[in-house]
Amino acid sequence: MSRELEYIRCHICEAVNYVNEKETKCRRCHEEIAPNLRLSYHKTLAFLITAIIFYIPANLYPILVSKQFGKTTTNTIMGGIIHLWDAGSYPIALIILLASVFVPLLKFILIIYLLISTRHNLHSSKVDKHKLFYITEIIGPWSMVDVFVVVILSVLIHFSGVQIFPGEGATAFGLMVFFTMISAQSFDPRLINQQKGDTF
Amino acid sequence: MITEEELDNLIICKKCHTLHKRVPLPPNKKAFCSKCDILLYQNNPNILNKTLALVIATTISLFVAFKFTIVTIDIQGMEKSLTLYALFMVILEQHQYIVGVMFIFLIFIFPITIIFSMLILLILMKRKKGGYLVKRLLILLAHIRPWSMVDIFFISLLVAMVKLFDYAYIELGVSFIALIFTLILDIIITKNLSFYELWNLYTKIYGGVDE
Repeated sequence: MSRELEYIRCHICEAVNYVNEKETKCRRCHEEIAPNLRLSYHKTLAFLITAIIFYIPANLYPILVSKQFGKTTTNTIMGGIIHLWDAGSYPIALIILLASVFVPLLKFILIIYLLISTRHNLHSSKVDKHKLFYITEIIGPWSMVDVFVVVILSVLIHFSGVQIFPGEGATAFGLMVFFTMISAQSFDPRLINQQKGDTF
Repeated sequence: MITEEELDNLIICKKCHTLHKRVPLPPNKKAFCSKCDILLYQNNPNILNKTLALVIATTISLFVAFKFTIVTIDIQGMEKSLTLYALFMVILEQHQYIVGVMFIFLIFIFPITIIFSMLILLILMKRKKGGYLVKRLLILLAHIRPWSMVDIFFISLLVAMVKLFDYAYIELGVSFIALIFTLILDIIITKNLSFYELWNLYTKIYGGVDE
């Protein structure tokens, strides 16, 4: 058993715990700290797959629907970014591109990498993997920017002639962000500390 | 077998999970992780009173932010304001239940729950009462903190305003300023007081009292 495996950090109260066979609750907050690693792995994987499934309609269906005097136009995420870029709003186009396209993709890749590397004990630094997981948790909610923008616009542009609605894509996108966050939260950092040959 | 006190003197970095031993710090000094330079803990005297003052200020500014108009736009004489009430109405009218419920929870319910829990637990900790309630509130906070998205809402607001610049005259409301205040105060609170320290204070004040 490695040194890191003996001491674990409670994800609720951040207390250092010494893990042994019979004690699976944190000594300070009494929350579960040593859940089944296999279950944690599969939960992360299941939520990740759900998120990836939602990512497809989130990109294909319109995130924003605008009605101008009876004429309806729709915008998908990429369509909106291209539209902003053409209109010369480069910073905004970049923010949306970063938040709505790169952040979710980066999260998918990071979680997939973490899952594969823990499963197959890839030879990479544990410290780096812990850092990657930390980054995954930090960047997660920032993908919500686009959904929030659409909701704000739908409240502001709400006149009898001109209206903006969130499209089906917005719902799918919001659910995608929700499931990636749940997926990252289900990931137990103890999986990273697995030694070669350890089974879970 | 390792004792509780020995465990209390250890800390694991939240970023790289490196195990460190705590050393006593002089007042107003900070300790950083040896591997990734992230803040581990700090010795901040009078932290409860300072944080309580900041939390009260945040409660007021959050109340103002949600009560009044955030922005008003004017397109050729037609005015529309962004308020929480308008938001509820539009969500109900457009039947956007999933997006709407998510929005209301992330922007309104979670931030309010967090700030009120902080307020209650800090007051209780100052008076050294209600150990069990403090513990439950701390656990609740740990669960919902990642889900509060006022900062992301503010960035989204700026993006939405830039999108509207070409078509509309935009007037900033009182709540917009209050939102900025809320965010600044929130940054100061999280910079000064980590949850690690709140839990340590909890152990110090209530000792082994629980359940």
